[in-house]
Parts: sequence; structure tokens; C-alpha cells
Amino acid sequence: MLKYSYILALLALLLTSCIKGEPQNMECDILEAWVDDDRLAEHFAQNADMRIIDVPSSEEQLTFVVRNRSALPAMPINFKLSPGATIFPVGGSLQDFSQGPVTYTVTSEDGQWQRKYTVDFREAVMPGHLYDFEDFELSSDGKYYVWFDMADDGTKNSIWASGNEGFMIAKPNAPSEDYPTVPEANGFDGYCVKLTTRSTGSWGRMFKKPIAAGNLFFGSFDSRFALTNTLKTTNMGIVYTKEPIKVTGYYKYTPGEVFTDKDSKQVTSRTDEPAIYAVLYLNHDEQGNKVMLHGDDVRTSPYIVSQAEVSTLPPTDEWRPFEMTFEASAPIDASLLRDGGYNLALVFSSSKTGDMFEGSVGSTLYIDKVEITFKNEE
Amino acid sequence: MKAILSIILAAALIPVRPATAQGVKEKIQVKARLGYAIGGTAPIGLPATIRSIESFKLTPNFMVGVGGKYRLSEKLGLHAALHYEIKDMDGEITTKGYHMKVKMDEDELEGVYTGHVRQKVRQRMFTIPIQLTCEISRRVQLKAGPYLSLLVDKDFSGYAFDGYLRKNDPTGIKVVMGSKEGEWATYDFSDDMRSCQLGVAVGVDWTLGSQWGLSADLSWGLTGIHHSDFKTVEQTLFPIYGTIGLFYRII
Repeated sequence: MLKYSYILALLALLLTSCIKGEPQNMECDILEAWVDDDRLAEHFAQNADMRIIDVPSSEEQLTFVVRNRSALPAMPINFKLSPGATIFPVGGSLQDFSQGPVTYTVTSEDGQWQRKYTVDFREAVMPGHLYDFEDFELSSDGKYYVWFDMADDGTKNSIWASGNEGFMIAKPNAPSEDYPTVPEANGFDGYCVKLTTRSTGSWGRMFKKPIAAGNLFFGSFDSRFALTNTLKTTNMGIVYTKEPIKVTGYYKYTPGEVFTDKDSKQVTSRTDEPAIYAVLYLNHDEQGNKVMLHGDDVRTSPYIVSQAEVSTLPPTDEWRPFEMTFEASAPIDASLLRDGGYNLALVFSSSKTGDMFEGSVGSTLYIDKVEITFKNEE
Repeated sequence: MKAILSIILAAALIPVRPATAQGVKEKIQVKARLGYAIGGTAPIGLPATIRSIESFKLTPNFMVGVGGKYRLSEKLGLHAALHYEIKDMDGEITTKGYHMKVKMDEDELEGVYTGHVRQKVRQRMFTIPIQLTCEISRRVQLKAGPYLSLLVDKDFSGYAFDGYLRKNDPTGIKVVMGSKEGEWATYDFSDDMRSCQLGVAVGVDWTLGSQWGLSADLSWGLTGIHHSDFKTVEQTLFPIYGTIGLFYRII
């Protein structure tokens, strides 16, 4: 038996004693950023605006919304970073943001990796109310298209988001033209946006997320949950300081031929439909914490105060107008609205139940010339 | 490979006495064997990015075989055998910043992974060991030499769960892997496994009764379990198994 225990000891040695010292962390992210000086609270419309939480891993621009940027004193920003990472300028140091954004560099614990973030303070700018989808560019890695709203002073407001970033995880080699959300030159006038329901290939099948509907929405995309909880990837809504009455625009739609469910099984009784809807909701709770709606609660949240939906969108090869009118379900506080207390989510999708991975590969929705009408303009 | 060569060379250089009148028969010994192997398929020297071995399940790593020894001198002999072996593995590890590249059809997911990995290896094979034997006492015999294995059934698969991948490098987008099927990343590199493995084995036979005894063997793979052009798993994985067994002397 001596030999037996010797062999076992040798094996145990092989398996465990080879565990080496823990390597230092390679990550260098800003996870949260905040201003926590009570004397500075007067510069913010609400306390929730003093803290930016859940920074998506692809985000490199952090923007605090303030009442009046020109009146801003030097601000101390605190950061929560990846474990062991360091930041320069250091967290809590006073920085002057009145002249524009400040760049912070985060270095990983092992010193081998860096990320640069720009932090900015801006007034709650009212995005334009006309969306022509002429302003787009390739993402920083050149893989897919992103849309923005060009402000009068030439700054790009990243108000639009799509699931393209999630599609890239499943189909990293796809050319940018084959993504679900792409620009199309033959719009109603100029460019339009083309939303196509795509197959997500082998990876998508494995994760039981076999299709990706083309979508475009007000908000941001967080790819963290792209393989696990896709409904949480869509941060729907941006601050809107006016009350919307209706949304109009033009569309074309062709449903794909074969409707499939989340197991990729054909459902002969169903034909794909697009979705166009909008939701206005309170962007903070009673305690002042931020509220962001996602794919799972954007139609059902108790914070919703008003919503609109285009009831029917029959297939058409020719541009057709669409219109939807908001119906309020709760009173809207006018002064809170002015102070940025509400978010508006405007959503377009090439497959109405694409968020449940039901739809037809090939369903195509074209959207152009979208206009939001506000209460005081009618 | 040098080790194998020198062992073969040493065996070849031993002066073989001509067979005496007592005949070849007395010089031959045949043993049937039954054994159970414990071990794994792992890189030699675990990288620092592998943080812990969370679980290591026993798999049915049985071995049966028959082998013959030809006595070369009073103490030395040459042993050759045919074994059917199972060298499976089922383990779970945790990683921190482990570089991985997983390909599904033409779509590749590459990055650094922090989290759990469940790894299953299935290797069923016929093995031919060629060993030099040395009797250090009447009851104890040592064996050492190369072996060749031909795999008849192979599988290398698993899944990454309860963790996250940073796409491409540690600054890339973060993708969370869940803790249930459909939310974790499975992989299967069975097709990239070699059908033929080479290695060295050392062991000891300990005769207890007139015909039977116990044995302990250690086999150390010198070829990785995957083809040499396989780069998906960062480190080359070698099969290293220890076998405890019984033998029965037939002749």
C-alpha cells in the first residue's frame, strides 16, 4: 500500500501544488462615477443626476447633466474602478469642466492596460425633434454602424442605440452591411435606416438566441447580458424635457418568409410584424434613485406616464406614412419635466416579438423622416 | 523523446544469452491485468491564470490487458503488453484572465475569461507499452519504457459558466456567462484530438501470492492530446495518469 499512497501523493502534488500566485488584474474600467459634495447639489436638477452607475463596458464618455454649465465651479469626481486599477487625474481632485470635457486615464493593476474616458458636464439638451437618419458613422472598432443626433453646435449626441454591438459578439466576422441595423442610401429623402431580422448563426443557436431583430431606440446598449439576459441589454430612454403628443414618419416593410420560434422551429400560423412605439416615464423613484426601463418592462413599468404605439403596419414596398398618438396614464409634472425628470423611449423593430427570439429572418423595416410633436407646439 | 530512445537503446544493448536447453518457455512470463487510473489531462505547470481546481470527479478509468515478459538475464527482462485503457477526466476549474479562443463554424469568440470552466475528456484506447523490467527482489519488479496508444473513442468538451469574457483583450466589451444551459458557452474540440499518443510509463509489480499481486504504474504523455496545430487552448495538454492494479500470472 506504500506504493499506492506514493502515487496518490504524486498526483495530488501535480494537481494542486502547481497553482501559482494570483496574477494582477488586467481590467481598467470606470464602473461608477459620482459627485458627493452636498454643497454642489444645487447644480443638479435632481440628486440622481449626481451619480452615473452601471457604466457599460464599451462606454468611454461619461456625461453629468447639470442646470448651468457656465456657472459650474471646479468639480471633484469620485470613481469606482476595476479592482486594483488606478486613475489619473486622481478621484476626488478638483477639475475644471467649464471649458469642456476632461480626459481621465485608468491603468490596470498589472500596469499593462489602459483606457481613456472623457467626463463631461452638460445641460439637459433637448435633442432635435426631427430625425432623418443622415448622421451615422462606424463604431470605434469599425465593425458596425452607430447613429447620433447632430446638435446645432456640431456636437454628436449619442441618443440612438441598436443591438448591433450584441450581434457582433455572435457574428464577429460579419461585414458591417450585414448587421441588423444599417444605413440605406435610398431613403424617403437621403439616407434612411434599414432594420433587418438576422440569423445569429452557430453561437446564437447555442445560446438559444437564434435571431436578432433589427432595432433602433433612444437609449444605450449594454452587451454584458447579450448571451444571458438580452432583455436587459437595452437601456431604453433618454431625458426629454417636453411632453410628446405624437410621432409621425415614413416606413416600408417586408416580412421574412419563414416565421420561427426561439428553438428555430417553424410556426406556419404566424407572419412577422414590425413594431413602432414610444414610452414616456419617470426616470427616478421616490428615493431619488435612477430608473431605466429595459426590454422586459418598457411596456409595463409603473413609472410609465404616457405611451404611443402604431397599431397596424401592413407590408408595403412603397413609402407610407405612420402616426401614433400618446395616451397619458398618469399626470405629468410640468416643472419636473423641464428639470429632466422624465425619459422618452422611442423604439423601432423589424420583428415585434424579436425580443423573445420569435420572428422571420429577412423581415425588413425601413424608417425615415421621423418627427415628434410636442404639447406647446400644437 | 530522448528518454524513450535511451531506454530502447539500453534494452537493445543488454547482452542476450543464447536460449539454453531449458528452452524459451522458462524465460517467458505472461500476466493478465486489471487496474483503475486516477489522473488528468493538464498542462505541465498550470498557468497562473488558472486559479483553483473546484472539483475533480472520479471517472470509470478502468484498464484491462495482458502482457508478456521475456527474461534477458537474472534480473532484467523485456516486457510488452496490450492494454485497453480508459483515461477520462471530469473537472471544474476557476480562471482569472485566461486567454481563450473558441470557434464555432466560421465565427470565433476570442478574449480573456474570468470564471468557472467545466472540462470533460473521454479517451478510450488500446495501448502497447514496451518496457525494460528489473527484479529488485523476489517479489518486486520495476518497469520503465515507452508506450504507444491508439484511441478508438475520444471527446474533449465542456462549458464556461458563472463568469465573464472581455472580448479580444481586457479592455474589450464584457460578456457575462450565466450559470444555466443556454446562458453558458459550450465547446467541443473532439475532432482536434490525436488518434495516436506516445508517452513513457514507469511502474512496479509486487507479487503477493504465488500467482497474483498488486501493481502501480504512472504513464506520462509526451504528445499533447490535440494535434500540434491546435491553438484554441493556450497550453498543450498532456495525459498523466497513475494506475493501481491487480495482476494474475497465467504462465
